[in-house]
Amino acid sequence: MYIRATGNISPQKTFGHSALAEAPVAYTGNRLACIEPDYKEFIDPKLIRRMSRIIRMGVAAAMECLKEADIKMPDAITTGTAYGCLEDTNLFLGRMVEFNEELLTPTAFIQSTHNTIGAQIGLMLQCNNYNNAYVHRAFSFENALLDAVMLLREKEAAHVLVGAIDEIVNPSFTILNRFGIYKPGDVSNLELYKANTKGTIAGEGASFFALTAEPSGNDYAKLEGLHTFYKPAGLAATEKQISGFLQRHAVSMQDIDLVITGRNGDAAHDEPYAQLTQSLFGQTQQLNFKHLCGEYPTASAFGFWLAARILKTGNIPELLQASAAKPVKRVLLYNSYKGSHHSLSLLAAC
Amino acid sequence: MSDLKSQIIAQLNLQDVKPEDIGDDQPLFVEGLGLDSIDALELIVLLQQQYQIKLSNSDEGPNVFRTVRTMAEYIKAHQAQNS
Repeated sequence: MYIRATGNISPQKTFGHSALAEAPVAYTGNRLACIEPDYKEFIDPKLIRRMSRIIRMGVAAAMECLKEADIKMPDAITTGTAYGCLEDTNLFLGRMVEFNEELLTPTAFIQSTHNTIGAQIGLMLQCNNYNNAYVHRAFSFENALLDAVMLLREKEAAHVLVGAIDEIVNPSFTILNRFGIYKPGDVSNLELYKANTKGTIAGEGASFFALTAEPSGNDYAKLEGLHTFYKPAGLAATEKQISGFLQRHAVSMQDIDLVITGRNGDAAHDEPYAQLTQSLFGQTQQLNFKHLCGEYPTASAFGFWLAARILKTGNIPELLQASAAKPVKRVLLYNSYKGSHHSLSLLAAC
Repeated sequence: MSDLKSQIIAQLNLQDVKPEDIGDDQPLFVEGLGLDSIDALELIVLLQQQYQIKLSNSDEGPNVFRTVRTMAEYIKAHQAQNS
């Protein structure tokens, strides 16, 4: 499977072709917000008025991706989101309470469902092909990706648009903050891994990928493998899952030039990453990405995008403030969400 | 009518449209302002929320929501009836 094109809206300047040419955007606080483009270039103003922020972000990222891939009509669209369209959900539920379950405006309800973004993309393209949304918490993106891989492998599709979308809004941030998920007080995202305190920083993003069965000669990367596992018993079980995954793809850690990990600065959940650094990942260069995008259930899509970008050039972009020990030809992306949802993606240069 | 136009713009989140851009007799649907069936539902909610008017007969809809003027006349007639 080949990643032909990408589109990414995130708290960094990742949208557009000049992406990653600059230093990382610094934030102070425990919440990162996406840097949004001028949507009028991508979406008809008549449609924009009904779209909440996350829908605009998702649709714009998807359109950018399709434009780069030069695909007018994808054979399938698969999306993953854990939270769905929170702004519209919040509006709709708020009005239910405010107006005693009467006088409900239809737009917020229609746009609040988890499949809204995939559906909007389909409507805008007049695309009646396969369209599926995955709402599997921190496996949402991985399962959307897995569906795309199966469609391509079974020759049900030649190209699939795959995306992950999640937003953070004031009510959801307040609720999640009460659970102690985010660090208290001000923290710089660029110092995220140094704090060694409980909690992380909130994030959001919209990442889309055009996946194809055949190479085009100008692809970002090749997706060699994908695996998810849930609540491993401990470090040994995690190592076994990772080793087994690599073995199934006839690859050893020596064949991997770079490990991108989903470390998020939370002392309560980063321990396995530290342990893996002492064992399995000990001899391989590692990079983290959640200081750039924050933590959210589909943040692995940002890591996936980053891996693809690195493999296209073979170099680590300035954004990460690191340099590669050798040209990067193969990347292992390992993400863990709250210690329960673990995912592995193996990507290689084309 | 200017207030009603502002309410319509806010309810439908019409981008870059000012009250003075909407003619009193300009058709709201299709060829005029380009509204659609979802907007019609939003306008029904607007009447209920702002003016406590419940559109009881759905056949009235096309005439009531033809233009801003027909909406305003319907609101006035309803308010006179209830005063």
